[in-house]
Amino acid sequence: MYNVDAYLKSLTSNAVKLSKKVQDGIAENTRDFRFENQAHFLDTNEAKMSEIRNNLDSKYEKEKLDGMKRLIAMISKGRDVSEFFPDVVKNVASTSLEVRKLVYIYILRYAEQEQDLALLSINTFQKDLSDKNQLIRAMALRVMSGIRVPVISPIVMLGIKKCVTDLSPYVRKIAAHAIPKCYQLDPAQKDALVDIITTLLGDNSTFTIGSVLMAFNQVCPDRLDLIHPQYRKLCRMLVDMDEWGQTTAIDLLLRYSRTQFLNPIGKTTTAKTARAKKEKSNVKSFYSDDDSDVSHHSSESGSESSDDEDDGNNSVDPDLAYLIKCALPLLQSRNSQVVLSVAKLYMHLAPAEESYKIGRPLVRLLRSHRELQFVVLNNIVAIASQRPYVFDQFYQHFFIRSTDPGFIRNLKLDILTMIATESNITFILRELQEYVKSSNKAFVTQAIEAIGRCASNIPEMAESCLGGLLKLAHSKSDSVAAESVTAIRRLLQQRPADSVVMIMQLTKALDDITESSARANVYWLVGQNCAQLPTIAPDVLRKAAKSFCSESESGKLQILTLGGKLVAQEGVSSKTIHLLFQYVLNMARYDLDYNVRDRARFLRALVYGQQQGGAAGSGDPELDAHENGSDMEHGLHDAEHEDEDTGGFEQSEKELNLSKHVKEILLSEKLAPVQEKPSHGREQFTVGSMSLVLNRVVAGYEPLRDWPTVQPDPSVRRLAATMEAPGYMNDRTGFGSDSVYAKSRQQGGGSGFGSGSGVGSGSRYDGQAGPARGAQTLDKFLESSEDESDDSSDESDTSESSEEGETSEETEDDDEDDDEEAEEESSEEEEEEEEEASSSEEEAILPKTSRRANGRR
Amino acid sequence: MIESLFVLSSTGKVIIEKHWHELIPRRIVDYFNEQVSKAMAAGEDVTREDVLPIISSPKYQLVNIYRDGLTYLSPVTKEVDPMMVFEFLHRIHDIIQEYFGSVSETIIKENFVTVYQLLEEMMDDGFPLTTEPNALKEIVPAPTMLNKVINTMGATTSVSTRKMPHGMSNLPWRKAGVKYNSNEIFFDIIEEIDAIVDSTGKAVSCEAHGTIQTNSRLSGMPDLTLTFVNPRLVDDCSFHPSVRFNKWDSDKVLSFVPPDGQFRLMSYRVNLSSQQNLPVQVKPSINVGANGAKFDITVSLRNTDGKALENVVLTLPLHKSTTTLTAQCNVGQYMFDPVGKVLRWDIGKIVPRERAPVISGSFGFGAAGSDAAANAGYNIGVEFLINSHSLSGLKVDVLKLFNESYKPYKGVRTMTKAGRYQVRA
Repeated sequence: MYNVDAYLKSLTSNAVKLSKKVQDGIAENTRDFRFENQAHFLDTNEAKMSEIRNNLDSKYEKEKLDGMKRLIAMISKGRDVSEFFPDVVKNVASTSLEVRKLVYIYILRYAEQEQDLALLSINTFQKDLSDKNQLIRAMALRVMSGIRVPVISPIVMLGIKKCVTDLSPYVRKIAAHAIPKCYQLDPAQKDALVDIITTLLGDNSTFTIGSVLMAFNQVCPDRLDLIHPQYRKLCRMLVDMDEWGQTTAIDLLLRYSRTQFLNPIGKTTTAKTARAKKEKSNVKSFYSDDDSDVSHHSSESGSESSDDEDDGNNSVDPDLAYLIKCALPLLQSRNSQVVLSVAKLYMHLAPAEESYKIGRPLVRLLRSHRELQFVVLNNIVAIASQRPYVFDQFYQHFFIRSTDPGFIRNLKLDILTMIATESNITFILRELQEYVKSSNKAFVTQAIEAIGRCASNIPEMAESCLGGLLKLAHSKSDSVAAESVTAIRRLLQQRPADSVVMIMQLTKALDDITESSARANVYWLVGQNCAQLPTIAPDVLRKAAKSFCSESESGKLQILTLGGKLVAQEGVSSKTIHLLFQYVLNMARYDLDYNVRDRARFLRALVYGQQQGGAAGSGDPELDAHENGSDMEHGLHDAEHEDEDTGGFEQSEKELNLSKHVKEILLSEKLAPVQEKPSHGREQFTVGSMSLVLNRVVAGYEPLRDWPTVQPDPSVRRLAATMEAPGYMNDRTGFGSDSVYAKSRQQGGGSGFGSGSGVGSGSRYDGQAGPARGAQTLDKFLESSEDESDDSSDESDTSESSEEGETSEETEDDDEDDDEEAEEESSEEEEEEEEEASSSEEEAILPKTSRRANGRR
Repeated sequence: MIESLFVLSSTGKVIIEKHWHELIPRRIVDYFNEQVSKAMAAGEDVTREDVLPIISSPKYQLVNIYRDGLTYLSPVTKEVDPMMVFEFLHRIHDIIQEYFGSVSETIIKENFVTVYQLLEEMMDDGFPLTTEPNALKEIVPAPTMLNKVINTMGATTSVSTRKMPHGMSNLPWRKAGVKYNSNEIFFDIIEEIDAIVDSTGKAVSCEAHGTIQTNSRLSGMPDLTLTFVNPRLVDDCSFHPSVRFNKWDSDKVLSFVPPDGQFRLMSYRVNLSSQQNLPVQVKPSINVGANGAKFDITVSLRNTDGKALENVVLTLPLHKSTTTLTAQCNVGQYMFDPVGKVLRWDIGKIVPRERAPVISGSFGFGAAGSDAAANAGYNIGVEFLINSHSLSGLKVDVLKLFNESYKPYKGVRTMTKAGRYQVRA
């Protein structure tokens, strides 16, 4: 028995131990697993602060990493953790890359506050600048230039100088990025930095050039003379740059072109000629062959100048035509900013008849995110207000969906009214009338206003617009009725010819219209046009007199005015009208609203003057004023006094004159209201800018310069051929894309410029390589990578390699190429063995497989 | 120049902040939140989506985007092309999505160190630096299951031994040294129909947009050429940066070195001329009276090449004053959301030559605002999907591969679905 008991006991205790062990193990494991979840770093409290310091001092990288993550968490929460700077700076040379990266983030954030301590880290960065890994070199320069401590600007300068000649295009890119930072640190360095930029502008790597141009724009945007020799190269490289580089380059080339070429935009072409041209050129397919496009264009401009003497300067400088042509493919970019930049280029640089090309791509952007739509629509508004024909065929894309946010709706409405033409107006009108059904009141109002604007833009369609509006005036919805009558009134003021019929219709509808401002509008219209409505107008007054009491304030005021006008029109001859007016005046005299009473007094005095006004008017104002005083609010007293003053003035001797001129006073021709488009004024800003979107000048906005009036010397750009970049910059691997065409283009184009044969030579840029292109592409692609790896292994002798680069570029002979490659390859292999895959390998884009493939060939 | 970024949660709290240039004080976020709530209080049907993407404060222009419940706020001081800021902010969101699968407040918090490093690499001193996912993944490793396991098991060693990647490729969108055992590439041709159809069934505006989503799992540096049977069907294309524009212009072939992994190769537009092309017809009739309305909606198939319509969902937003709704339908099920005032009818699958789904019923207005409700128009949102069907008929012909010796497997799928498809009643 005992044995069994003991056995059981030991068994249970063992089991407990085991389970505890397992539990511990699991707990341990789960803690480890949770570790990857970085969220727990975010809830740091005070107690853990000392822990961080311990972590940073730890000899284990793992713990250091832990501490750093915790610090970064605090930075991202907005806490000030600068007190840890000394502890962090110690780790700047950590062997772990991950720790180092976090240390860099920390240093960049706090260096400005802890300048002295930050200096401690500089030494490490300087050492890193010679690291064999390009990423480390780049990172070192990035951090060093990012530390905003003015003392180190000479060191940063040295670093930039060193990296500018680096073999890796990535490091050179970083060097370019460091230039504006250095300039900010110490503006006195500007001249030296400009020199560096000049060197970098010769860089032929599409990877680097975008950043160089960015630096240029930041440091010396006005040194456009530096661009002369690079202009054609930049145009050529445009298609191969990265997306952000393309944007920067287009900005720069736009500014450059505005100073170097004569205005090719020509006189603002009317919509009709532009459309005719568009149709002509549409015969040739849009994308098909640019060759034909260019020649077509040149012939067109030729014929134009014979047609129209004034358009003489419409011929486009071949260099400018080249830029416009190079930018065209970018309209197919997936990056909206690039597309919009090209649109900007076309708007501000290209002949007006070319601008139809930007319509479709801009409309395409309407399918992207809400915010992007917002910007695009704003720009379309600005473009359409100058050249509506760019968008008129895309009107369907501006139809509003019930899911569109408010700011999109308004912009789309605006655009629809701008691009309405005779051919699309019926569709647009039908669509606008659909919007009136929306439950959003503000939107309905705007839709009706838009109908009105359409009508005033296209006089031919005004009648059908008016018809539509009249239908809406009968609407059960008060706001719709009010808004449409207002729109009608505005329209009729612009088109007095149509008025009579319309007003008759409106007066018939008057019984149905209940909304006060709508009724007021009708009364005003009738009054203003009473000369043309000799039978109807008095009848309207009769009806109005009957329902006077039930009218609203604005209605009553307008009825009074209508009466006054009628009397003034008819003179004192018509008794009925007199009586009606008198009746209305008397009703108004005892109205609750002081405005109405006041208007009645005013009109009575004006129309009847001394005849009977003397009796009625002279005594009354006093009395009225007293009456009013009791039920009037305090603040309104002043207004009332003013009114009294004018009343007093009227009663002076001039009243005789006044009554003589009653007709002129009341029935003078009223100026038609000018409808200001909500988007008015946008077109003065550069397309794509923040100022355009906000429709006001934002700090830092610089308008484009005016075109020069005298042609600047075009030969300055011809220097390009003689300038050659140093060898390390000739790695024109491009982005594996069009650089080969670019090369052949360069040759074709160069001779084209040399001969200076004018616009016609533009066609040469294309450098049609024919059907053999595909095969050539690949070869060149590989070959260029060879070039590069060769350069990298041959660090000491840059001059030689640059020569090689030149020759290989110029020779089209395949045999020669092959020989060269073979040589290069053998020498390369030797060196590779020596260096044991150390420095050179990293630059090669194509690893060994590709070389083998080449060798086989 | 894009100076700073604040990522805000749906309640307006700062999740993460990053300053690329100079420090912008946090109080600007408070100002922003104030403006947003002010804008949203302006009307009852104003939502967060209606708030202007650029709000001006006395000192800054507050450029912001709103996606997946998160706000990305970038205050700028000086003139800058707003499109660039928006494009970049969306790019940040896309990259985070690419790294972690989806984006939410929790995901950013869980991975904030990685996110912070990404923000550091994507921008330098206010100018975009590296924004291609392939290049970024070389500098900032994406969290993979393997990484996680390594980190937890041999944590202390892995930190210091992780090799610095140094094969910066010269193609910014492609990693160097990619290796797969089986080389395959998949193309998904997805076409979306955008249409506004009026109550008679006539299309007011109608367009289809296609995208080719590609998943590349190819080793080395493959140089691909993709040809179509009928490239003339597409128009107004935009491409991934890897595609050589000139080749498309001259020969209508797509020639490119693909990035590794998922990417959108191209997007294009298909012109639809007549309504004959619409695969589905929705016939609504809504008779509105003073206190309510009777409605019935019929959905019928048309022109789908005998393919079934899947995941069909109709949504009918009702007027705000609607209080009650009763209905019956012969297929699927419906749901009325009394708060959002939306009727959602989940039909599911519609097979050709079966009886057409119909829903009929009535809804009533509350006392307030019934007058306005009686005049309001209705819009029905339609969603559907047709597998292995392409509206345009675009077909991939041949995929040729240069520069590598293996023969890749090529997979092509097509799909048509409703984009922004609206029927007016």
